[in-house]
Amino acid sequence: MKFILQLAMKNLSRYKRRTIITSVAIAFGLMMFIIVDSILRGAQVESVRNLRWYETASLRIYDSNYWEEHYFLPLESSIKQPDKVMDIVKAEGLTATERTTFAADMILYSKDFGEDGNMSVKITAIDPSTDFDVYRYPDTLIDGRFLEPGENDGIVIGSWFAEDIGAKVGYWVTFITQGNGGFYEAFDMQIVGIVNCPNPNVNRTLIMMDKSAADSYLGMDGAVTSIDIVLDEKANLNQSAADLQAKLDQAGLSNLQVLTWRDLAQDYIAMVEAKQGGSSMILFLVFIIAAVGVSNTMLMAMYERMRELGMMRAMGMRDRDILFSFLFEAGGIGMIGATVGIALGCLVNIYLVNSGINVGFMFRDMDIGFRIQSIMRGAWSLPTILKAFFSGILLSMVVALFPIRRALKLDIPTCLHHQ
Amino acid sequence: MSMIKIEKVSRNYKTGETVVKALKEVSLEVDAGEFLSIAGPSGSGKTTLLNLIGCIDGIDSGEIYINDQPISGMDKTQKTTFRRNNLGFIFQTYNLIPVLSAYENVSFVLSLLDIPADEIKRRTYEVLKEVGLEGMENRRPAKLSGGQQQRIAIARALVKNPQIILADEPTANLDSKTGEEILKLMKKMNEKHGTTFIFSTHDKMVMEYASRLVLLHDGSIVSDERRQ
Repeated sequence: MKFILQLAMKNLSRYKRRTIITSVAIAFGLMMFIIVDSILRGAQVESVRNLRWYETASLRIYDSNYWEEHYFLPLESSIKQPDKVMDIVKAEGLTATERTTFAADMILYSKDFGEDGNMSVKITAIDPSTDFDVYRYPDTLIDGRFLEPGENDGIVIGSWFAEDIGAKVGYWVTFITQGNGGFYEAFDMQIVGIVNCPNPNVNRTLIMMDKSAADSYLGMDGAVTSIDIVLDEKANLNQSAADLQAKLDQAGLSNLQVLTWRDLAQDYIAMVEAKQGGSSMILFLVFIIAAVGVSNTMLMAMYERMRELGMMRAMGMRDRDILFSFLFEAGGIGMIGATVGIALGCLVNIYLVNSGINVGFMFRDMDIGFRIQSIMRGAWSLPTILKAFFSGILLSMVVALFPIRRALKLDIPTCLHHQ
Repeated sequence: MSMIKIEKVSRNYKTGETVVKALKEVSLEVDAGEFLSIAGPSGSGKTTLLNLIGCIDGIDSGEIYINDQPISGMDKTQKTTFRRNNLGFIFQTYNLIPVLSAYENVSFVLSLLDIPADEIKRRTYEVLKEVGLEGMENRRPAKLSGGQQQRIAIARALVKNPQIILADEPTANLDSKTGEEILKLMKKMNEKHGTTFIFSTHDKMVMEYASRLVLLHDGSIVSDERRQ
């Protein structure tokens, strides 16, 4: 075995240029795999954080009927006894806030906006005294101020939304909506603050008002559409949801359902799964590169060394040992490629993790599903690096198997007299 | 008792629709320690006969016995083991491994056998000295002349002390002076170790060195001459 390994390693240096070219191809593929995986992984980590911090919280309680029709934001399927639910949640040691989300038409006036217009919007009514315990908006304020509890005519909007409609703090808008029961209601609101939220989905559409004002305008009688709960990052999401659901059921509130952020962000989860497929596609492309490159290299090596092969077999070297020798050689090419690829990938990744790539120009007007506003950062993943390293070696060996086996099927005299 | 006994061996090759009869019921007996030359023109069956004795090609009919052991009954693995333990080969084109040094080209044959490392080292240095390559152990084949490369090939064949060494036109790639040196070396090894040498050639000078000359023509033995 020592000789087989020694021979394989020496043969690596035999066709230096060919070994380097094949290794570089593998290295490039694996480097791309590490970079893409890092960016996707970093984007996922940041997206999940921005989802939980600004969009979905960790858990959300809805009326069972609400979730089925949540695209229509149905006020009639709201939580009728939010205080009772809040007591149960607090008894579980959890932090929560009440919210009411509803649809409205927003009317813009030429006096402030330069021209008259209207648009459909989604308004989130929050309880300013508890909302910031669950969501992290305070750090995002870039102009004006936040809502104050009981404020009847103030709204806070996202900065991209403000840019899109040309809004500034102090401008007035009118909302027309259907209240709980179907009556129409119109109310004037003044923009009191603008937030620049790291979650582009929120930043693009956010309109927040005070819950008590919404309660009054919509005739909610104290009902809310959801109760949003924050959990520790490391908490067991599903277990917490199941425990809370059990408590609600025990309290006779089985009409309510607890959803996790994963349930709420199904669009994001589907997108991530699709992108993970893209990452696998890159690994597959690396496989193709390795297959073509290594297979070709080994095939050429085989034909060039056919007489040596015949000599070794004539001398009594087992086919199995010759096979191993060539496999180790192919594995060596894979190892060089994998090592270089990982080294380059890691070097690029240091920059990606620490500085990231500014993709704000792209995400400003395009929604690709990630909840990232501008900087896409990478993330380290030891399993990915190990996967890249071992797959580089293994794939090289696997694809080398076919030309080697083909050569070993030839009889010894044919090998010895090969021209 | 003959070391090698060849009984009515035939070997045919099929090239498309044409069947070439490379050997036609050839019979021959070779004693241990002989220095035998198989001579004949190109296509006479010399290489085929060597390949059959060397268990690297299959017999169509007849039988070859080496030390009374019939080789046609051996499977591929048995033949490999037999070659590893009993046979040495010298080729016209040397067939050295260019990335290995002279020492490594020779010692690898011993590494295929269950021999301790210090024994491999001792025997390799010894045989390289015997073939006149002392001091050149670390040189790669590309840094050596054709004659020196063939000396490595002889050392490689000899190092495991095989019973039989088969050499297919061992001097064909060498100039006459170097070829003669190689033959003298082979003869010396034959006399010193008692190893049976069977070599093919169509060179008259080479034939002169043989203690026995078997002439092949169109796959049949036409003469078998023993010399002093």
